Amino acid sequence: MNLRQRDRINPHLDLDTVDAAADLMALNMGPQHPSTHGVLRIKLFLDGEVIIKAVPYPGYLHRGVEKLCERLTCVQLTPIFDKHDYVAPMTNEQALNIALERMLGVEVPRRARYMRTILAELQRLASHLLWLGTFTLDIGGTIGGGASLMMYTFREREPILDVFEMLTGARFHYNTHQVGGNRHDIPDGWAAAVKTCMDQLAARMPEYEEQCVTNSVFLMRTKGIGVIETPLALELGLTGPNLRASGVDLDLRRDAPFHAYDEIKVNVAVSNGCDTHARFEVRIAEMYESIRIVRELIDNVPEGPICSLKPVRTVNQIKLPEGKQMYTAIETPRGELGTWLIGGGAEKGACPYRLKIRPPSLHAMAALPYALVGHTVSDVVAVLGSLDPIMGEVDR
Amino acid sequence: MMGPVDPALREALAKQFPDVFAAEGDLDPNGVVVPAALHVALAKTLKESFGFTLYVSVIATNFPTAEGETYEVATVLRNPTTAQPFWWRVRLGADPQLATLYPLFAGADWQEREQFDLVGVNFVDHPDMRRLMLSEDWEGFPLRKSYAIDTPHTPWR
Amino acid sequence: MAIDDGRSFEHPLYHYWENSPGGGIGLTTLDRLLMHSARHSLWFFPMATSCCAIEFMTAAASRVDLDQAGTIIRPTPRHCDVMVVAGTITVKMAPRVKKLWDQMPEPKWAIAMGSCAICGDFYRDIYSVVPGVDVIIPVDVYIPGCPPNADQVMVALQRLQEKIKLQLEGKFVERDLRPGTMIYPKIGTHGDARQSAEVAQAQLDGARGLGVGGKEHRVPRPAAVQAPPEADATSDSGEQS
Repeated sequence: MNLRQRDRINPHLDLDTVDAAADLMALNMGPQHPSTHGVLRIKLFLDGEVIIKAVPYPGYLHRGVEKLCERLTCVQLTPIFDKHDYVAPMTNEQALNIALERMLGVEVPRRARYMRTILAELQRLASHLLWLGTFTLDIGGTIGGGASLMMYTFREREPILDVFEMLTGARFHYNTHQVGGNRHDIPDGWAAAVKTCMDQLAARMPEYEEQCVTNSVFLMRTKGIGVIETPLALELGLTGPNLRASGVDLDLRRDAPFHAYDEIKVNVAVSNGCDTHARFEVRIAEMYESIRIVRELIDNVPEGPICSLKPVRTVNQIKLPEGKQMYTAIETPRGELGTWLIGGGAEKGACPYRLKIRPPSLHAMAALPYALVGHTVSDVVAVLGSLDPIMGEVDR
Repeated sequence: MMGPVDPALREALAKQFPDVFAAEGDLDPNGVVVPAALHVALAKTLKESFGFTLYVSVIATNFPTAEGETYEVATVLRNPTTAQPFWWRVRLGADPQLATLYPLFAGADWQEREQFDLVGVNFVDHPDMRRLMLSEDWEGFPLRKSYAIDTPHTPWR
Repeated sequence: MAIDDGRSFEHPLYHYWENSPGGGIGLTTLDRLLMHSARHSLWFFPMATSCCAIEFMTAAASRVDLDQAGTIIRPTPRHCDVMVVAGTITVKMAPRVKKLWDQMPEPKWAIAMGSCAICGDFYRDIYSVVPGVDVIIPVDVYIPGCPPNADQVMVALQRLQEKIKLQLEGKFVERDLRPGTMIYPKIGTHGDARQSAEVAQAQLDGARGLGVGGKEHRVPRPAAVQAPPEADATSDSGEQS
């Protein structure tokens, strides 16, 4: 069987060339499947229980966001951006607003930049906690004990959402960023609440990590599964924890700083394992790092204004220069979230002409045909869970 | 962040692509415009000689003009060592056809399918040029400016 | 059949009892028993597509804990009584939703969670989005919000139980209406000064009715916000389930 092409898996394998093609079984997984993290459909071609070809079909949540972005003004876009990656809305808003600010050349006050950094790191923690819960749930199953860790991580996530609610009034879909800064200033008692929340999490994280890494079943199901080699990871455009688990030391927080990341030190976790377990390790290490960053910053938020422009009054108040094009990217919990922005759209330039979102999850999904081949059906959920895709972001 | 192209990189590229990079003055801040014939060669040079191995994105845009439909395809690469991005644009006419980057970058597979699906730019020699997001029998390309946002789709909407 | 309302239980036992002497009395009691049991052990089928799915998972997790009301979340339609549509339904997904709904055994109910499932929300005018899941399947309870808080799922469950109880007592149950009577402007004209005064007034009224806009509803922020209580974070419901 010639499954490989150019020293790697061939995702476009012609099944007619496979020996004993008649014995293959086509298994359809999704779009309604509890472990596909939303609505992903994967068509698996099986030889016994071994996958010889996997064809993902995304698009079951295609909501036409890019078309919608051409119809709404820049002010109206922030709540739309909340809904792409609904596990990390805060960083999504930041991606949009940084793109707009860079195009318009707007400076953000230092206080707002510090607040954005804290919010981004808190959001990273919330997102990774949800990932940890669902990942172990996928591997262990509801009955097999995976659900117990999910209950714990959801419990830990709640105080973080409470902290966000204290600041913005919403559990998610915050709409707290605007061009030039933030919308909501820090209320009294917020720093204390964040610190309490971080202390609790820091005390409990080792326990959760231990539950996984001392479990031999967990190790057997993750080590050596879903290997994505470094050159392939780069070619596919994997970013964030997925890329760092494939041995590439690239983190936009440190290498192309935004927010206040140029004023603090970010330790980047890298693993050379390239497999599902390496992606687990990198995310766990990132969570410890996020706790450290939040604790470091929370007492040092400088005083001053939180927005350099006048607050939003009308939807048409921000106009983009016509014909200007720009690619901007920031690091979200899932990787590099980029926006390709072309100014000068409808409403005399208040709407973008074109806004292409570069979602990290779509690139991670594209790794599935490579990572699944040769493994068994039960490994599909492990690999999928470790890539941490959010279908809202994949399909948009 | 991106700003102008790094002078050293520009000088090195000017030796191979004099028409594009050896021009007077600053390069277009919106991205260098490259003839379609040089698209693959530029990507290959950037990947193999200058370390731009991380495939970031491809963006197709529809620009209706008085003369007819025109398209622009922008490609973004990143150097994982320096974290420096680099992008260039290709202008296409009313029947958009562009060579695929799939042999160079495996990630171009899905990205180009998505742009074909939504904008209708055909990537030549792509191994699997099907729609990605919309169903196979969909008519029209939603991100073209002539496509109405509230196009009905019976019986569902 | 004891209650022929299309929601009774089809079971071979029924025919056996019906034909036996005096069985009819037992049958009504059995029907009551089954309906009572169904009301307190509603199994949820998560038709979870987008953002609301996360809040739905939160509802099932430790803080709200749907299990305390006897619900179990089963990802297969054939075991379930209630379909919870949490998230946007697209044109590509709609045939699957319909099929999954058809696969669920009677009696069955549907909950539309979040504004996307109710009316399509932001995305209602977009080429690939179904404007509200009640276009495809009949919806019993709507949970407004974007997304609704997790505890609202519990409220919706209680409303559904109430409806089932009324139905069991043979009372007329009024159909829940789609929440939100605002006249939605077309996409791209939000806040546009050129939009008609009628739409603007309707929007304003709608916002006032919800208590999110208008001067009289603007409450000042409390000066001191308390830290989350210690007891809450150490709730031990996680261990129980």
